[in-house]
Amino acid sequence: MPAIFPRWTNNVPIAIGLLAPLIGAGLIFIVWYWFSPSYTDVGYRPEQPVPYSHKLHAGDMGIDCRYCHNTVERAAHAAIPPTGTCMNCHDLVKTDSPRLKLVRESMASGESIPWVRVHQLPDYAYFNHSPHVAAGVGCATCHGRVDQMTVVEMVQPLSMGWCLDCHRDPKPNLRPLDEVTNMAWDVEKTPYDPDRDPMRKRKVNPPTHCSGCHR
Amino acid sequence: MLPAFVMAHTPRNARVSSEAPTLRLGLVAVAIAALAGGCRGTRSEDPPVHLNPNMDFQERGEPQEENPFFADKRWMRKPPEGAVAVGLLKDDDHLYRGRNLDGTLADALPPSLKLDEKLLGRGETRFNIYCAPCHGASGHGNGPATRRGGGMQPPPADLHMKRLGPEPLGFFFHVISNGKGKMRSYKAQIPVEDRWAIAAWVRTLQQSHSTTPVAAAAPAAAGAAKGATP
Repeated sequence: MPAIFPRWTNNVPIAIGLLAPLIGAGLIFIVWYWFSPSYTDVGYRPEQPVPYSHKLHAGDMGIDCRYCHNTVERAAHAAIPPTGTCMNCHDLVKTDSPRLKLVRESMASGESIPWVRVHQLPDYAYFNHSPHVAAGVGCATCHGRVDQMTVVEMVQPLSMGWCLDCHRDPKPNLRPLDEVTNMAWDVEKTPYDPDRDPMRKRKVNPPTHCSGCHR
Repeated sequence: MLPAFVMAHTPRNARVSSEAPTLRLGLVAVAIAALAGGCRGTRSEDPPVHLNPNMDFQERGEPQEENPFFADKRWMRKPPEGAVAVGLLKDDDHLYRGRNLDGTLADALPPSLKLDEKLLGRGETRFNIYCAPCHGASGHGNGPATRRGGGMQPPPADLHMKRLGPEPLGFFFHVISNGKGKMRSYKAQIPVEDRWAIAAWVRTLQQSHSTTPVAAAAPAAAGAAKGATP
């Protein structure tokens, strides 16, 4: 009786034994590396309808973040400013710049400028800016050096693991309460211990349980 | 390195010529995967891909999101004209409009605010956020916005000019709230208590530039006393 399987099939179990772990590890690597927000989200840099430069306004001119994002200390959402905020100055500065055409049109018509949102958490994650700012987490900690960005981009993954890293050990990411909007503040240059800061009324104690963020 | 079974079923005479293309094919596949995948942090204008949609986007209104259902694209409906939410009548003329009962501009803080270090500190930081870009941190009308892009026309007021010295405290509150000349209203940007704190800080700046340190303390104390009596 002739053999049902040819001779080379003897090698199949060995091949599977060798390849399966490799393929398995490869799949895990692919999901770990390419499915992570560190890959899908970081570096997202949409073109905005108006070429507003944070580098010019927040960096070179040193305008505080809260001049425009004025709700950040009081509300969950750090508001994208209305056109009126732009016009506080641009009614008087660069009044005929072609790059500001859309701003002037928006002011005249009352239609919002279609700014493109850069940072967006999933809808099942609750996030509130105000307690983070009150706890002394700097803007730059999550948003990067926006004062050096001509076009704003995502620099942190805003993933759950990344949130928890800080919620479990917030200390390294805390700074003096009056340095929150200071983009250049650097823990390396000015060592800071939140436990010894007399300005702080209570210890920062971020939630790490599920319903802290998934309410 | 080729898997054993590939080598095994390759005809002996073809082995030398077929091994190289297979290797090359493998390298090309790796290169394509790397190119398609790219590295972490690569810049892109395309919105993030959600490989697992996972209820990331729900039919729910978030601040400043568009609602395609309504013509004005807002999620919240505007209250009818003249409607007042409970507790938001804002009938305190002194606090909300900076005016006395007879309609003149008040020259003291509203009774609900106390002139102390905290209020002045608040005023200073708020002034530096909202006013300093044009008026300058010292109030001389030389903020960074005046030094770029051809400057401001007309230039922002120098808060130390003689004309502003005798103005009542309520005047500064009134200007912050409603604007003046080309300056636009900051009512929407700054909460009412902060506007008073800024007004107090403006007065502090003025006094710090026009009197001796000893004399500066006296009117401030007088203002505190005034503010305490309704």
